[in-house]
Amino acid sequence: METDAAGMSSHPNWEAVIGLEVHVQLRTRTKMFCGCVNQYGGAMNSQVCPVCLGLPGSLPVPNEEAIRRTIVTGLMLGCRIAPVARFDRKNYFYPDMPKNYQISQFDDPLCAGGTVGLDPFLFPKDLQDTDEAKAKKSIRLTRIHLEEDVAKSFHYEERSGIDFNRAGTPLMEIVSEADLRTAGEAFAFLGSLRQVLLAGDVSDADMEKGQMRCDVNVSVRPVGQKEFGTKVELKNLNSISGVRRALVYEIARQIAAVEKGEAIQHETRRWDDEAGATFTMRTKEKAHDYRYFPEPDLLPVRTDQGLRSAAEKSVPELPAALQDRLMKENGVTAYQASVLAADRALCGYYEKAAAGTKHKAAVANWILNDFLATQPDPATTPIKPEYFGELATLVAEGGINSAQGKKVFAELMANPSSPKALVEKLGLAQISDAGALGVFCDEAIAANPRSVEDYRAGKSNAINALKGFVMKKSQGKANPTQVDEILKAKLSA
Amino acid sequence: MSAPKLNVADVAGLARLSLTPEETSKFTAQLSQILAHMETLGQIATGDVPEVVPPAQPALRPDLPCPSLPVDVVLSNAPAHNNDLILVPKIVE
Amino acid sequence: MSLAHETLASLRRRLSSKEIHSRDIVKDLLTEIGAREKTVHAFTHIDEKAALASAEKADTSLPLGGIPIALKDNLNALGDPCTCSSKILEGYRAPYDATAVARLRHAGAIFLGRTNMDEFAMGSSTENSALGVTRNPWDPTRIPGGSSGGSAAAVAGRLAIAALGSDTGGSIRQPAALCGCVGLKPTYGRISRYGLVAFASSLDQIGPLTRTVEDSAILLSALAGHDPRDNTTDLRKPETFLSKPEGSVKGLRVGLPKEYFLPGMNAETEAAIRSASQWFEKNGATLVEVSLPHTPAAIAVYYILATAEASANLARFDGVRYGRRAVDPKDLLDLYQRTRSEGFGPEVKRRIILGTFVLSQGYADAYYRKAQKVRGLLRQDFESAFTKCDLLLTPTSPEPAFPLGERTQDPLKMYLADVFTISTNLAGNGAISLPCGFTKSNLPIGLQLISPRFGEEKILQAAHAYEQAHDFWKRMPPV
Repeated sequence: METDAAGMSSHPNWEAVIGLEVHVQLRTRTKMFCGCVNQYGGAMNSQVCPVCLGLPGSLPVPNEEAIRRTIVTGLMLGCRIAPVARFDRKNYFYPDMPKNYQISQFDDPLCAGGTVGLDPFLFPKDLQDTDEAKAKKSIRLTRIHLEEDVAKSFHYEERSGIDFNRAGTPLMEIVSEADLRTAGEAFAFLGSLRQVLLAGDVSDADMEKGQMRCDVNVSVRPVGQKEFGTKVELKNLNSISGVRRALVYEIARQIAAVEKGEAIQHETRRWDDEAGATFTMRTKEKAHDYRYFPEPDLLPVRTDQGLRSAAEKSVPELPAALQDRLMKENGVTAYQASVLAADRALCGYYEKAAAGTKHKAAVANWILNDFLATQPDPATTPIKPEYFGELATLVAEGGINSAQGKKVFAELMANPSSPKALVEKLGLAQISDAGALGVFCDEAIAANPRSVEDYRAGKSNAINALKGFVMKKSQGKANPTQVDEILKAKLSA
Repeated sequence: MSAPKLNVADVAGLARLSLTPEETSKFTAQLSQILAHMETLGQIATGDVPEVVPPAQPALRPDLPCPSLPVDVVLSNAPAHNNDLILVPKIVE
Repeated sequence: MSLAHETLASLRRRLSSKEIHSRDIVKDLLTEIGAREKTVHAFTHIDEKAALASAEKADTSLPLGGIPIALKDNLNALGDPCTCSSKILEGYRAPYDATAVARLRHAGAIFLGRTNMDEFAMGSSTENSALGVTRNPWDPTRIPGGSSGGSAAAVAGRLAIAALGSDTGGSIRQPAALCGCVGLKPTYGRISRYGLVAFASSLDQIGPLTRTVEDSAILLSALAGHDPRDNTTDLRKPETFLSKPEGSVKGLRVGLPKEYFLPGMNAETEAAIRSASQWFEKNGATLVEVSLPHTPAAIAVYYILATAEASANLARFDGVRYGRRAVDPKDLLDLYQRTRSEGFGPEVKRRIILGTFVLSQGYADAYYRKAQKVRGLLRQDFESAFTKCDLLLTPTSPEPAFPLGERTQDPLKMYLADVFTISTNLAGNGAISLPCGFTKSNLPIGLQLISPRFGEEKILQAAHAYEQAHDFWKRMPPV
């Protein structure tokens, strides 16, 4: 596995050119062209009707919500939205295709152009510290269009069985330009794209559930060469990290072949994750002639008569903008901003929590360091976001110290209630009274003569033992700053 | 339009039809005649046919579920099925 | 008199007044069928029991309550076969109603018989049926026309009160003309195609075949209107057609497209059409010569676009999910090829190959895209003609019914017979054919009136006035 950003350190004279074709299942209630439910996991062939089964006489009618969500995606990615979009028939025979043509978009897709920014925190963990990750490169898109998904097949000894539940699911196809140069970038592209899709509530885009599928086109060329090398298409990529592994392998394979003087076949290769290699798929002699023509059963869709403006209303703040804002206005770290941007529900929870206090960065720490570890569901948790605002304020403005804060947090998890009330309940009010603290300090000095001697001899760290004694005696309630002042004063007296 | 090279066997293959040699030669003769009739189209000037802009947004479908067919109805027309799946000869990639 | 000889309108009145019962109509039709269906073979299926059962439950307070109607065998009706007169749909039972069928059901109609057709509506003679030929009731050695030959023969032969057909290039109008009944192709988008097995999606329309224009208007009113299941249906409000028959054609501007009146036309057809146009003039209409200059290109455009769409529409017939499947396929390719080659007749195969070719790489621009552009010009021809007239008057068919078997070996000659009907499908206008005369050998001749898009009321009014001023509609074929 390559460990540097370019993934190309072993191939300094070579450049990889990579383009991705991503299919995303839209999270609508019904299918693209009929009213059957769009739901994973239903009983076989129970979510099927004359339209999605391709019965004679059936006709498609487009799902308005699927179109709206595609426009939302296009707006989020900075695409040009076509004022008039059209559907086309893509003709080929396959048992998972009920009509033996797929309704897709060819000449007039809903969206054209656009970009996906590579989020540094969405590079593989081992590459996040590299220049390439920090470069915040923008990958251009060619287009985004809508089409219908195919059925699912199961293969046995001599037969295959087909479940048509998935046939007709709305699918958004997002095609990138060949702007990617490394496996790491491809990894980051998919993660960044997914983050945008989640933000727009368009899809859950989980590759392992088949909600996002990716085909890769990759070629290599010597650094400095203008012409592209022969491209190879990779299929059967089932996870974002699988895409990375497949690209690392394939790039190395192609370079090795070209260095040996072998020609790269323009072909489709299948990635086998277990074997860790790509293999030639059974090649067809000719490229498919899809015989695209405009879908006569569907009128062209005008987006400029209300569809686009409806979509504009649902465009959320983009992940990059959100992260910038949180860092600038709330003082969270870049890493924290990326975690929040990746989880809108959590982010909404955080913003509610931070609204009631000026210690917004501290709130982020509580929620991301402590609360997140308990795997909460921000939508249903009984722990109100405002509690974290309160907690941060209490610790910051001297009500309690941070150790006590942790105690309150623990109690908050167990018995959700206002932190102020919990402080009372636990009797944790911090001791800041000089007199009371002075008594503790005298005790500490009396009980630790050795440390006192060391301190007065010049070892300034010796004071920590005395501080520890005071904190223990005071059950952690002593105000550490004051204790420090008082001890120092007494020891220098 | 130059004389088209209609290879009936190739085109039939695209349409998943297998023709007997007799059918192939008969169709080649008949379709060549028909295509010859269509040559006239090439002479018609179509430079400025206006693009038909659709009027209003057509009736799109709201995202509301409708009842599906019962499974037994789906399978009742299927020539081969088992365990609620519709069967075909093994699909090889 | 047998109830089988009456019009829909008349039967409706008599049912409503309880003078007759629906079962009486069904019984009389079954008697006629018993006597002549063996010769005519208008039907692919007849379910006597079901029809009589429906008749018993008929609700005559509904607009079509208790009226038996025959359906062309390419319309899905829940629980019934829908063979499209093809072997490939053997065994298929429709699990849903076509919208047109549902609307008739909802209006109280009952169904008696599914009618024969050219396989997948591809043909002009009903000789391309895999379920046997249909014979013209006026002369059983001749074709009834096609593809809705069964529907036309049934209505003309008094084996059905009315029938639904489908028209892609003339398949309602031409058989209506050849069989001496009324056939209406509505404007494209008027009647929902949901449930009609598609031949050419941008050209197909469902329409009625009836004895009279009034009956046609009744059915059009019941069927027309936007359907959310068909994205190509028009959104305008539903209307009732011919609710107030005017009976006069005074002031009507009747356009005669010169490209439809060429020298060398069949003499008897020409005489009958001329006589019809003179009737209009005598009764206060103005005859206007108009031109539809791109008419000579229409057949080429039609056979490119219709076959292209058909090649995709018929791809679904593959033996996987329904219909006939080849026995013991050795692999997937064998399943597809053998199922389709065994299941489709030669005309269907020919059109699929032609349609696949005109869409294929390297040819799509010269054929498919060029034809689309010329289609636009044809549409413009009609729009510009209708600035000068209210409707167009033409022959429906260049000649009366020709003998069975005469053209089956010459597909191009068969295609050229569609010349007067094809352009209306390409342009999307409405058109009606009705009887306007008979040849010396007692073969019907049909008159076609073409309306501007969504102008069916105009041609129904004019057709009704013409029809009622003549006796052609009353003439019956020899027993």
